[in-house]
Amino acid sequence: MMETFSTTSDKIHHIIKSFNLTKTLFVSSVIIGEAHTGKKSLARYLFPHAKLVSGEDQDEVMSALANHDELIIADFEKLSNQSLLDFSNKRIIATANYMGNQTVIDDLFAFIYTMPPLAERPKDIEHIKGLFLKEAFSTLMIEPSSVQTDAIPLNLTSNTKSLKKSIYTYLLQHSMDKKEIKSVLYHYLLKHLDGNDGYREHLSLYEVPLIKAGLKKFGSQLQLSQVLGINRNTLRKKLHEHHLD
Amino acid sequence: MDINFQPFVEWDNSPFILFSHQGKILYLNNAAEILFGYVSKKELYDIALSYAPQSFGYKTTSLTLNYDSFLFHAITVGYENEEEITLRLYNAPRIKPTRKVESEKLILTDINILLEANIALFRTKNTNPLKLLTDQDLPAFKIDQNTFSKLLRKIFDTFKASDSIDISLKLLFGQHVMIDNKKESIAQLAIHANGRYADADEEIRALASANHIKCLLKEHSIKLEIPLIQ
Repeated sequence: MMETFSTTSDKIHHIIKSFNLTKTLFVSSVIIGEAHTGKKSLARYLFPHAKLVSGEDQDEVMSALANHDELIIADFEKLSNQSLLDFSNKRIIATANYMGNQTVIDDLFAFIYTMPPLAERPKDIEHIKGLFLKEAFSTLMIEPSSVQTDAIPLNLTSNTKSLKKSIYTYLLQHSMDKKEIKSVLYHYLLKHLDGNDGYREHLSLYEVPLIKAGLKKFGSQLQLSQVLGINRNTLRKKLHEHHLD
Repeated sequence: MDINFQPFVEWDNSPFILFSHQGKILYLNNAAEILFGYVSKKELYDIALSYAPQSFGYKTTSLTLNYDSFLFHAITVGYENEEEITLRLYNAPRIKPTRKVESEKLILTDINILLEANIALFRTKNTNPLKLLTDQDLPAFKIDQNTFSKLLRKIFDTFKASDSIDISLKLLFGQHVMIDNKKESIAQLAIHANGRYADADEEIRALASANHIKCLLKEHSIKLEIPLIQ
């Protein structure tokens, strides 16, 4: 499959431009950036026919270096014999999660690029979120129109990885029916039910979301107590019990 | 036998200038013509007067003169009448490259591509305004693409905090350098700005010399004289 790469980041456009210019030259380049920012995808997209090896397997890297003039080395930071490598007159594209030994990197590579983290690429976030949503709806077999997707809280601490998790978790949480929620609780309780105060200890699983959602939906405690059909004082006691006041 | 010496002077690699007593140039050879791109007529005329012999005749003085990439180690000043005075500057020998050119390692390259690519790399990190004036007709020449790119990266990085970076690339007409007994043309890459960092200068010098490139590092500029190895 041909890799595609889409970005609206100026910084990445400059990286692509520089790579396109040097595509036919024998120079070594490295893309350094946090995990899951698209470094490997970018390398694959720019050099679709290049042999790809991982720095996790030193022997494979060495034999690939001996046999190929064009090579993508992913996970370069994991390679322990960096300072012994000879890239002369080869086209090397390496990707690394971090710089490691700066002197060695500086010595090996002519072009040292920094891949910006996803948090610095707002438009890319929107684009990638769209891709993951499409994938998630299809994988989880959820009808897209059944879930509101505008306000999904996105976790970007691990770039696309945590972004993807945010989306799958959100979709699961917003598409479960009663039966599935009961099943989730069943498996949770099966694992955790213990001791001699189990009823009270696990009541919060029901009461906390009930009260939180109720307050959000109905605003005041007065109204909520009416909707729940319980005494206002009972509700206030519950709020205090669950530290919701 | 009557020998016409003028062509010898004309094509001498060392600059030769004949001034009138008012400091006007009456004659100059090719090498001097190039030199005048970098030093004023008045400055050289003043030097001629300062080092002139006491009376008619010729006097050679050892001294170091440096104009841009030109380096001279001696001058001869002479006059045979009150009307004219001559100045000859002696080129200091270029430092012979200690390493042989490993020409099998060199690849025929369009330098403009490497330049553009390095500018793109620079722009991924910096937003400084940058102007490039290049000679698209510069012939391709043989170079170690990786080390040369590294050299360009290090040079550009010294300008990371500068405004108005001007880059120009041109052929130095009429100038040559001998590499492995072959006469090669020279291209000049010059980068000017309002200032630069000097912390990588040693590395830049080392990378340049590994590529048989002469480099001139100044407070506001870097100039490279790149042999166009064919």
